[in-house]
Amino acid sequence: MTDATASGAPATAPANSLMAPDARTARRNAAEKRFRAYGLGAIAVAFGALVVLLLSILSNGLGAFTQAKLSFPVTLQAEQVAEAEGALLKTSAYKAMLQEALAAYLAEQGTDVDAEVAISLLSDEAAATLREFALANADRYGEPVPFTILANGRIDGFFKGRVTYESAELDRNVSPEQLRAAESLRDAGVLTAGFNWSFITAPDASDNRVEAAGLGVAMLGSLYMMLVVLVLALPIGVAASIYLEEFAPQNRLTDLIEVNISNLAAVPSIVFGILGLAIFINWAGLPQSAPIVGGLVLTLMTLPTIIIATRAALKAVPPSIRDAALGLGASKMQSVFHHVLPLAMPGILTGTIIGLAQALGETAPLLLIGMVAFVREYPDAPPEGLFDPASALPVQIYNWTQRADPGFFERASGAIIVLLLFLLVMNLTAIFLRRRFERRW
Amino acid sequence: MNDMRLTERVRTEMATKMQARGVDVHYGDTHAIKDVSIDIPDRTVTAFIGPSGCGKSTFLRCLNRMNDTIPIARVTGDITLDGEDVYDRRVDPVQLRAKVGMVFQKPNPFPKSIYDNVAYGPRIHGLSRNKAELDGIVEQSLRRAALWDEAKDRLDQPGTGLSGGQQQRLCIARAVATSPEVLLMDEPCSALDPIATGQVEELIDELRQNFTVVIVTHSMQQAARVSQRTAFFHLGNLVEYGETGQIFTQPEDPRTESYISGRIG
Amino acid sequence: MPTIWLFAIVLVTGLAGFALARGRAVASAGGDTRVMHSRPLYHGLNGLLTAMLPALGLLVAWLILQPVLLDRAVVGAIPPEVLEDGAARSLVMADVRRVADGLDAAIAAGVATPEGLAALTAEDDVRGLLGQAGVALGSDVSPYVLEAARDMRATAATLRVVMWVAVLAVLAIGLGVALKRSHADYRARNFVERGVLVLLVAAASIAVLTTVGIVASMLFETVNFFSQYPASSFFFSTNWDPSFSGRGGGSELGIVPLLWGTLYISFIALLVAVPVGLLAAIYLSEFASKRMRSVAKPVIEVLAGIPTIVYGLFALITVGPLLRDAIASPLGLGNSASSVMTAGLVMGIMLIPFVSSLSDDIINAVPQAMRDGSFGLGATHAETIRQVILPAALPGIVGAVLLAASRAIGETMIVVLGAGAAAKLSLNPFEAMTTVTVKIVSQLTGDTDFASPETLVAFALGLTLFVITLGLNVLALYIVRTYREQYE
Repeated sequence: MTDATASGAPATAPANSLMAPDARTARRNAAEKRFRAYGLGAIAVAFGALVVLLLSILSNGLGAFTQAKLSFPVTLQAEQVAEAEGALLKTSAYKAMLQEALAAYLAEQGTDVDAEVAISLLSDEAAATLREFALANADRYGEPVPFTILANGRIDGFFKGRVTYESAELDRNVSPEQLRAAESLRDAGVLTAGFNWSFITAPDASDNRVEAAGLGVAMLGSLYMMLVVLVLALPIGVAASIYLEEFAPQNRLTDLIEVNISNLAAVPSIVFGILGLAIFINWAGLPQSAPIVGGLVLTLMTLPTIIIATRAALKAVPPSIRDAALGLGASKMQSVFHHVLPLAMPGILTGTIIGLAQALGETAPLLLIGMVAFVREYPDAPPEGLFDPASALPVQIYNWTQRADPGFFERASGAIIVLLLFLLVMNLTAIFLRRRFERRW
Repeated sequence: MNDMRLTERVRTEMATKMQARGVDVHYGDTHAIKDVSIDIPDRTVTAFIGPSGCGKSTFLRCLNRMNDTIPIARVTGDITLDGEDVYDRRVDPVQLRAKVGMVFQKPNPFPKSIYDNVAYGPRIHGLSRNKAELDGIVEQSLRRAALWDEAKDRLDQPGTGLSGGQQQRLCIARAVATSPEVLLMDEPCSALDPIATGQVEELIDELRQNFTVVIVTHSMQQAARVSQRTAFFHLGNLVEYGETGQIFTQPEDPRTESYISGRIG
Repeated sequence: MPTIWLFAIVLVTGLAGFALARGRAVASAGGDTRVMHSRPLYHGLNGLLTAMLPALGLLVAWLILQPVLLDRAVVGAIPPEVLEDGAARSLVMADVRRVADGLDAAIAAGVATPEGLAALTAEDDVRGLLGQAGVALGSDVSPYVLEAARDMRATAATLRVVMWVAVLAVLAIGLGVALKRSHADYRARNFVERGVLVLLVAAASIAVLTTVGIVASMLFETVNFFSQYPASSFFFSTNWDPSFSGRGGGSELGIVPLLWGTLYISFIALLVAVPVGLLAAIYLSEFASKRMRSVAKPVIEVLAGIPTIVYGLFALITVGPLLRDAIASPLGLGNSASSVMTAGLVMGIMLIPFVSSLSDDIINAVPQAMRDGSFGLGATHAETIRQVILPAALPGIVGAVLLAASRAIGETMIVVLGAGAAAKLSLNPFEAMTTVTVKIVSQLTGDTDFASPETLVAFALGLTLFVITLGLNVLALYIVRTYREQYE
């Protein structure tokens, strides 16, 4: 029964014990371990990159949320204000008032800081701020009113470690003497650091006023654009998905649309910027830098994302629901709008929020449609405000990276923290929606 | 030495190759195998039969520790191969599976050429010193799997291009090429048509001359045709185990009888 | 009255149509809604759609076509010799538009009256007048521009009146038709559903329109560009040196150094992203415990949710200086913080989650039977992955890499902030180089003159970029789809 020639294991396979791994197995197991280590290493690299990225942004940007300010009382006189308002150079008149008030206060405090030096610590915005303050407090002339004003960017940088005595020696914009004065003012409690609300609310400021630059206009602009995207992309995206998923016949047009959508999802964002520039601005004559144009461009960019998510959500609704509705005599349209669409809604909303989050962070196309312009005016309320010039959060960040003063890098990183917070909130909302309403069929 | 072992093998043909004692398997909370003890004799075809879900495939996968790849599976009890505990901490499952090969329910050739499919095992285990030896192993394995004549002119074509029955024989050739001592087959014919099934069954009978074969099948006829010993599993229990002829003609347990006569299953 | 009011009127009429049509239909059934063919809601919707949609469509179409019509109408006022080449033509028309807008603004600001404008000649200080109204002009206004601007204002006024009349007429007809149809037997539901279907098709077609818009807008200006600058120099010149004198000519606009920078940076990015992303995906889908997977996967995907401007700033203030101080300067390879390496490295990080999630899908699509087959032969896990799973998944992974490459080539912000602006053909990765996207941004931001080749080249660059990425995407999607079908 046994065929001797065919029997037995080949000589190359030793019939050794299972308990004693041979050299080859040991080598193979070592290779296995190495391979696993590569995988773990890759994950560690990805984690590390994320951590370094976030730490870099945080360490550079957290400073933007605090700001050195000087607080001292000013006593405004009605005639002084009237005279200043009548002067040709209003700001220099106010600057003189400011210097007077500061000198009086310093003398009263008994510090050895020269008022001339002290005033040089203030922001270039100081005079304009005082003017606004004076005009807003017309009922309090003649009495000392507490007044808070921003220190200039170098002094602020000094307290954040960006400016040192050594660097000040080489810097035309700041002298060691000013830094010494700033230190004694801090010791005297005149110069304090506090939370920087104006970073959140103020508009952008020019190159040499880094301390006054804020995100107000940019956030408003981004908000307007998101409104446009939401109002346009959600209904259009949902309508397109319903057509493709529920009604589209198998024909060339449907194929064409499908291919187009999957390709648009992968078209570089800058190409959409060119589209916006050529079509919306040059051809249709819409204004540059306007949120409406940005919103339209971002809508076209976001549509594929929303359509893909919506179609997935519609596909997840089992056909039995449609059959049930049709079986009761509902029309196809009724079965979709009464049953399928509401059931798919959580998935659609999740996809929309993720699409909006993408749009919020998009920069390149907005550069081409003029959003990079320097805008200090808040846009009006919608709908007219949609046509006013505005900036956008990511573009403002780019804008600040192009400025000379290193203080703007801190602002840019701070703006990124704000942007990432918005994105975090949006993504958490999406995750929450998915967790809360997700239905397993 | 070789001759001595040969004569010894012939003499103790029914010597035990694998042995299980008190084996339990849990999948998460499910108790899939309950206290199974069995002796699998050398160079015999042993069939595991039973209704679907009875645990016969699960038990088969314990024999070469394929259950290790399922995170929630937990195996307790003793399983030995030639007297060595395969679940011992020192045992490398990779080395074990080189000795206890496996053929699956659905033919699963790799998306490579026929040659590379068969040469895969010998290559990873380093069974050949040169190309000529490897060629020899491939040819011998394909011959043993009765596929050589059909495949010899198309060794460089993808294995996925073969017919279902040919694919399964390719998988058997692939398993044989590693020179295992035990060959586990998990319903190897369930995805095949009757003609291909007949060819594979014939092949199994020939494999018995060189290998210990354990086959799981849902077909009692197949068990009767190819096996010498049969184990009947029911609800995770090994109900009855013995000579195939005896199991089919004079089952001792009423459950076996019910199954064989078609009342359960 | 501003056009927005017309929109409002159309909308309000639509709502009125809803209420009226619904009311009429219910009344015609004697209040018994059961005998009606369609539910009252559909009669209402019928009123809304029939009244509003045609008028709305006309209004939108009119607004889209109006600029073209206006240009046609006023071009006659401009001497033909000024209009000889297309570039000058669009410049002049832009001037005309600006002056016309300025005149509007002047009236709105109260510094001029309509009668005063009629008497205005080019000898008067038009520029000063518009300056008072807050419209700054770059140069004095030539007589024919003023004439054309006046023409444009007059035509625009006429067109506006015609538009109002036409839209209101269509609105009234629509409302009339809707009301006439509203009775109990009318199959309002069928009509409304057909209308909704048309809207759905229209929404789906926007994707096609967008593509057409992209191609048309770039193609038009690219043709314009090639009429002023030879295509052969654009594609084959190894020099990128635009002159900033505007229309002075003498620019060299060769795409080769830009493409070189683009491909070099993308190559480095893929060199980072593909091994890391692929190995991470393999580890997560093959080795990691469920728990680790549930933590690590979302964390890696966070990288994908970070906007590119953030990566750009990271390159600019952290990675760039670090590479320069730690590697480039000590080795004498250069002292620029922006470099191919900086941009490539950061872009690589950005692409890690892209590669890993695509690879993850693809590896998971390899059937479990393949793994079982390999394990059953005594292969280790690593051997199974390297010799069975990866070869089986190879087409899919190639597709994923192509998609990642297309991303890298089209990426803008990271290279704008991290790569530099100097077009160079160099092998040293620590030198600053520039890319196609960087040049699109720099040629199209700031003061742009849409007649000069220095600006128009951006459209040719954009079209090149679009064609390259489109080709990669189509190829990748095709490969991935064929791969998926293999295992379905």
